[in-house]
Amino acid sequence: MKMRFDTVKSCSLALCTVAWFGTFQGCTDSKPAASNAAGSTASPTPVNSPAAVNSPGPVSAGNSTSKPATFTLAWSEYPSWSIFGVADEVGLIDGKEGQMGSIEKKYNVDIKLVLASYDSCITLYGNSQADGVCITNIDILGAAGSRNSVAILPTSTSAGADACIVAGVNSIEELAGKPTRGLEKSVSQYCFDRCLEKLGKNPADFPFSQMDPEQAALAFQGKNDGINSIMVWNPFVMQSIRSRSDAKVLFSSETIPEEIIDMVVLGKDSLSKPGGDAFAKALVETFYTMTQRMANPKTSDETLIGIGARFAKLELEDMKTIVQQTKFFSDPNDAKRLFADERFQKETMPLVSKFCVKYGLTTTPVELSYGDAKGLMDFSTKYISGYAESQTK
Amino acid sequence: MIRRVIPTWLFFALAIAGVSVLLVSYEFLSQRQTRINPKQTTIPSFEKLGEGVKRMFAKQGTQENPKPPMFWNDMRATLWRLFIGMGIGVLASVLVGVLMGAYRWIEAPLSPIVMFLSKIPPTGMMPIYFAIAGTDQRMFTSMVALGIFFSMTQSIYQSVRDNVTDEAINKAYTLGASESEVIFEVIWKQILPNVIDCIRAQIGPAMIFLIAAEMVVSDAGLGYQIRMQSRVLNMNIVFVYLLVLGLIGVVAEYSLLWVRRRLCPWFEGT
Repeated sequence: MKMRFDTVKSCSLALCTVAWFGTFQGCTDSKPAASNAAGSTASPTPVNSPAAVNSPGPVSAGNSTSKPATFTLAWSEYPSWSIFGVADEVGLIDGKEGQMGSIEKKYNVDIKLVLASYDSCITLYGNSQADGVCITNIDILGAAGSRNSVAILPTSTSAGADACIVAGVNSIEELAGKPTRGLEKSVSQYCFDRCLEKLGKNPADFPFSQMDPEQAALAFQGKNDGINSIMVWNPFVMQSIRSRSDAKVLFSSETIPEEIIDMVVLGKDSLSKPGGDAFAKALVETFYTMTQRMANPKTSDETLIGIGARFAKLELEDMKTIVQQTKFFSDPNDAKRLFADERFQKETMPLVSKFCVKYGLTTTPVELSYGDAKGLMDFSTKYISGYAESQTK
Repeated sequence: MIRRVIPTWLFFALAIAGVSVLLVSYEFLSQRQTRINPKQTTIPSFEKLGEGVKRMFAKQGTQENPKPPMFWNDMRATLWRLFIGMGIGVLASVLVGVLMGAYRWIEAPLSPIVMFLSKIPPTGMMPIYFAIAGTDQRMFTSMVALGIFFSMTQSIYQSVRDNVTDEAINKAYTLGASESEVIFEVIWKQILPNVIDCIRAQIGPAMIFLIAAEMVVSDAGLGYQIRMQSRVLNMNIVFVYLLVLGLIGVVAEYSLLWVRRRLCPWFEGT
């Protein structure tokens, strides 16, 4: 009897373990399930049926009777992405799960903001732990290899925000053979290779080795041995230039205008979930509401200070420089123009594709499309246009 | 009943059953994830893991300029760093630990420092290691060596104080042993099994420091590859690397147990 009891206990232990694994894995697909479950607790009948509309039921925020679905956006500190952090502060969206800001209420969708380092954001997104991600047009191709994606919004383009900073190196010729530190196989290395190409050099002569950009910047600022050249992005560019009198920018993304695009990308699976459309619309509206605040002289400084606080604790004057080096797509028409641009489609993206294959981010070129949603990676102007139209009405 | 003996065949059958349950549920989860997203790489199927292994051992570089396969390149980098770092750390801590346990005038100035520094997590001190030791082999070595040095010194010195009785030392003196003979013939022999156990216990922390450092700055190594491959979403390679990390730990554990059995057979029964 006792023996049997032991067996039962150990079996149930094993089952618990399996169940635990199940819940761990369940995170990845719990969103639709959770939203459905939440919907059914609010009203057992389907939401679109007349019964649901008529039933007084528990009225949640917004005008729908269903509890809003939760969507996650993973973002890292970067001028045009820190905007979402500031939007959380000013109450447009509330980044906590289950809490709603004004734009969330308008679209009846709950947006959860997750702040992480840039490469963690990519891992989170690629493994379906986030519905959307702030990412560049280079790194998204690697992620699109394991998750079909739609770019819904270009937020900015780097015009000097990615830079190769050196000390004790006077010319590009002198840099040959000396290691440059930065995030390998990513936007940094793309910028490094492309700038060298454009300046008439062969990237193969310039070794590039992996180091976390933040740590590389710290090591450079601390004048560590062997770290005399780093390829990083802002805020690290600005911090590194500031902290060493002998530091200078050797070349930067100014050399390759409109090649590095910072974007908001959603998984196709998330977009097609109930509420996915509202999530995309809410993100687009949040972004443009914030860029309007930046443009408005009354709220401009205050907004920049807010972004600075969510962006490496920079002050107003620094932020004014940063915004110069990161050109925001503040105008929806400008954003639409970019995605439809011949050069972007026929030159930039094929170059990026080639880079990704060369460095093994993808084994074969990712199928790209521009608005027709056919490609595994689609650049869509649908939500930007929708927003622009709603503004003209 | 607690500690009731079960037949050996049942023990092994249950062990195999445990592993099979794990493998079957893994396959189940992988298939479920694939149904949700056919392109998923989060929980790769066994077939995908096989592809990952193939890529790990694929030839790199060109014909004229061949490079070793990714996996061997990483293993060599990591094991070399671990070996050198642990070697220096163990030698230094044995020396200091034994001296601290033997002489009060060495113990007095060092024990507060050793005790305090053994409490600071070395991963937190990483920026300081970069600043002092750069980013090459020197940094990894000093990180692993210093990372294990303080806590190992602490336990070796405790072991000298606790495991070597005053009677044993006095007996050796009475029989005419010199000071160095007491240290080598009495103290060292008594604490040797504890030293081996200490090394065993420090492999885990040493790996943690090394992998963490490799994730931040390195061009090769298991930690570097895990971070890189997880960013480009090749989870099939990440999983195999984690498996390898586990195997390194198991191999190190059993070889040290074997060494202890060979060197200190008298210790086993106790």
